[in-house]
Amino acid sequence: MTTIFILQFLTNYFINAKKLIKYSPLTTHVLNIAEGAPATRMALSLHRLDHNTKIWNMLTVGTTNTDGRCPGLISRAGFTPGTYKLRFETGQYWDSLGQTAFYPYVEVVFTFKEPDQRFHIPLLLSRFSYSTYRGS
Amino acid sequence: MSTQRLQQLKGHFLSEHKVTSMAGPVSPLSTHVLNIALGVPGSNVSLSLYRQDTPSEVWSLITTGITNADGRCPGLITKEMFTSGVYKLRFETQQYWESIGEASFYPYVEIVFTISDPGQKYHIPLLMSRFSYSTYRGS
Repeated sequence: MTTIFILQFLTNYFINAKKLIKYSPLTTHVLNIAEGAPATRMALSLHRLDHNTKIWNMLTVGTTNTDGRCPGLISRAGFTPGTYKLRFETGQYWDSLGQTAFYPYVEVVFTFKEPDQRFHIPLLLSRFSYSTYRGS
Repeated sequence: MSTQRLQQLKGHFLSEHKVTSMAGPVSPLSTHVLNIALGVPGSNVSLSLYRQDTPSEVWSLITTGITNADGRCPGLITKEMFTSGVYKLRFETQQYWESIGEASFYPYVEIVFTISDPGQKYHIPLLMSRFSYSTYRGS
């Protein structure tokens, strides 16, 4: 009986954690536009700039899934106004596909002042180009 | 001295294009900033070029400049200085948008790229709006 209860508790815990993750106010989507496919298994990291020290603090590390997305970047409470950086390990990604590329990595630095905002920051990528925009 | 001759001499001294072309060979690295929201060159955009030192990974400043009326910045680097390595072009994009009275999502744009064959020419444009930008390796 107790085992079942514990198992139930753990299952619920992980389901709720996934819900939290699902609702990150910051999302990204990496697309390999040379192949017309999501860029899977790309390492990325999110950083916030400490305005006093001018140092970047790493908040999250992740890897894109089969859809080129990386849920759970940051919590609603954690996403306070400021200056952030999304760093994509694009060089490593092309390496893993056995290809060279022009950019060793891509860093997208953005800033916002109003609280309670959501941003979608895609990265469209080929070996010799990339683009990004603020989406929804 | 005749008026015509004086006019000719004045032309030599005052021509901006001549000064540039006499400054030596064309930089093997060039850029072009475009304001794609307005469909115009991004002029008066401050930028700087860095090379990454090995093995320290520290960035060394090579040039600072500002884009001209055509959104270009000639003379970024000389052939002699253009060795293999990792470089960074930093564009002060937010300053640019602020100078035309607008806010922007990106405080600046940095493009980091690897030069493995310095014998080639590299053209690195930046196409930007307030909420997007793109770059590619051009010619």
